[in-house]
Amino acid sequence: MRHGFTRSMIAVAVLSVAPIPATAQVSAVPRTPDGKPNLQGLWQVLNTAAWDIQDHSARLGVPAGQGVIEGNEVPYQPSALAKKRENFENRATADPETKGYLPGVPRGMYMPFPFQILQTPTHVAMTFEYAQGVRLIYTNGTPHPRGPINWWMGDSRGRWEGDTLVVDVVHFTDQTWLDRAGNFHSDELHLVERYTMAGPDHINYEVTVQDPKVFTRPWKMSMVLYRRKEPNVRLLEYVPGLLMEEEQAERERRKTN
Amino acid sequence: MNTRRTDLVIALTVLIAPPFAAAQTPERPPIIAGCPTENLAFHTCALQKAKTFTPPRTPSGKPNLQGYWRSRLTQAFSVEGVAEDHPLVKDAVTPWDVAPPEIVEPADRKIPYQPWAAPIGRQGVNFREYVDPRTMCSTAGVPRLALQDPSQILQPPTDDHVLWLHEDHHQFRVIAMDGRPRPGDDVRMWNGFSRGRWEGNTLVIETTNLNAHTWLDDSGNFYTDTARLTERLTPIDPDTIHYEVTLEDPKAYTRPWKVAWALVRDRTPGGYELFEEACREGERDLGRIREQGYKLYFGAPWRFR
Repeated sequence: MRHGFTRSMIAVAVLSVAPIPATAQVSAVPRTPDGKPNLQGLWQVLNTAAWDIQDHSARLGVPAGQGVIEGNEVPYQPSALAKKRENFENRATADPETKGYLPGVPRGMYMPFPFQILQTPTHVAMTFEYAQGVRLIYTNGTPHPRGPINWWMGDSRGRWEGDTLVVDVVHFTDQTWLDRAGNFHSDELHLVERYTMAGPDHINYEVTVQDPKVFTRPWKMSMVLYRRKEPNVRLLEYVPGLLMEEEQAERERRKTN
Repeated sequence: MNTRRTDLVIALTVLIAPPFAAAQTPERPPIIAGCPTENLAFHTCALQKAKTFTPPRTPSGKPNLQGYWRSRLTQAFSVEGVAEDHPLVKDAVTPWDVAPPEIVEPADRKIPYQPWAAPIGRQGVNFREYVDPRTMCSTAGVPRLALQDPSQILQPPTDDHVLWLHEDHHQFRVIAMDGRPRPGDDVRMWNGFSRGRWEGNTLVIETTNLNAHTWLDDSGNFYTDTARLTERLTPIDPDTIHYEVTLEDPKAYTRPWKVAWALVRDRTPGGYELFEEACREGERDLGRIREQGYKLYFGAPWRFR
């Protein structure tokens, strides 16, 4: 009896710690007709990275948050660390978000707005509610165009590594920030993003950040993208620059009338 | 590539469109897809051609409209066309090109404005007192997006959406093919909300929920927030789409009316890709424009009349 009991315990233990068989994982992830994970839908983060990608206490208007950086440290070069602190002090006016500009990448991925993924065998498109931003990720094997090019949302070339979409992003401007806390980069920013579906409604998003002008080593952020599940959910528009202009036009109209 | 990079540098560092510069009129060859290229003649001919053309299909059997497209048979000045004796044709600074109307219906090829609306559009109040909304880096709007810059159509194989990407100010239109309802009337957007369906070989797109803060052309022709736009994209040969839009707006027009032109496949050797056309990020002119007494539009003339 004793022997049998042990054996059954072992069996239970093995079952409970064994990795989920590959087939079960596969069935949990929606697929496109060509067998790739189907990333399509509306996605949005549920974290506080838009305010600060690092651990932070609450500030007025800013929810407290646990950072999204592996190890929590942004490995700034000494002069860049001083610049980050200056950015933080001046953030109310210096943050490019306050001008209504395109947010850049990866910042656009964790703004508190949804974005939609549309996918073909040759392209993965991301259309953003915020600022009508768009990323077109080529998955047709083409290389980055020859630089120098300064694009606000960079140039994205992707490939599938098994069930993970791996995207290489270069050709940035030095005008975008990484969050509202003044974390920043230069035009030598180079990202490697990994999109892995963890189930039908979750994407594990990882991004490795390199920038030899600003950081001492590559560093990594990771977070979950959640599917927006409301049955009537649609991508709408939030165009901050035009909302700013409209507000000013309205003030002027009231003044002259 | 070099020319396009130069364009980009100008876009990023100088300004986008100088506010009052005449738009370039794309070339108008004598024949496109075997059809004459005056818009009404093209429209009539293309609808006949469509009856016999079998377009390439996607793996799921839908007409395959994917690829890069450029508009033809278009001019940016006025959907009502530019007559030879139009004063702006001889304008010393920004002369307009003589051009036929893009309107193919009604027969007089004029916008059937209600009496109050005609003096606002048609180089009226909008044109004299307001700057073209594109100047402040907005979307050109529907259907003006399809009038000028290159675009790209993507059809995800799941057939639930069509994506129409425009180089102009990085605009995109996510066209819902899944039959779900549109948002309520109080949700208004610059590019509206677009639902699509296939009718034979034609992609039919119905757009509502428009904030109507955009214009139809350089002349300040317009619709209001009750507009419903029905676009029809019909392939008539492997490289040509007949593009037609029916504009309905009970607030501004007395009847529905139609424009039509061609979308021609880009065959740039070595391939083509859309570039990012950031606009607001390099914009430096709005302050000076305001100083000159011009106002930004946001539909003001019809919203607050």
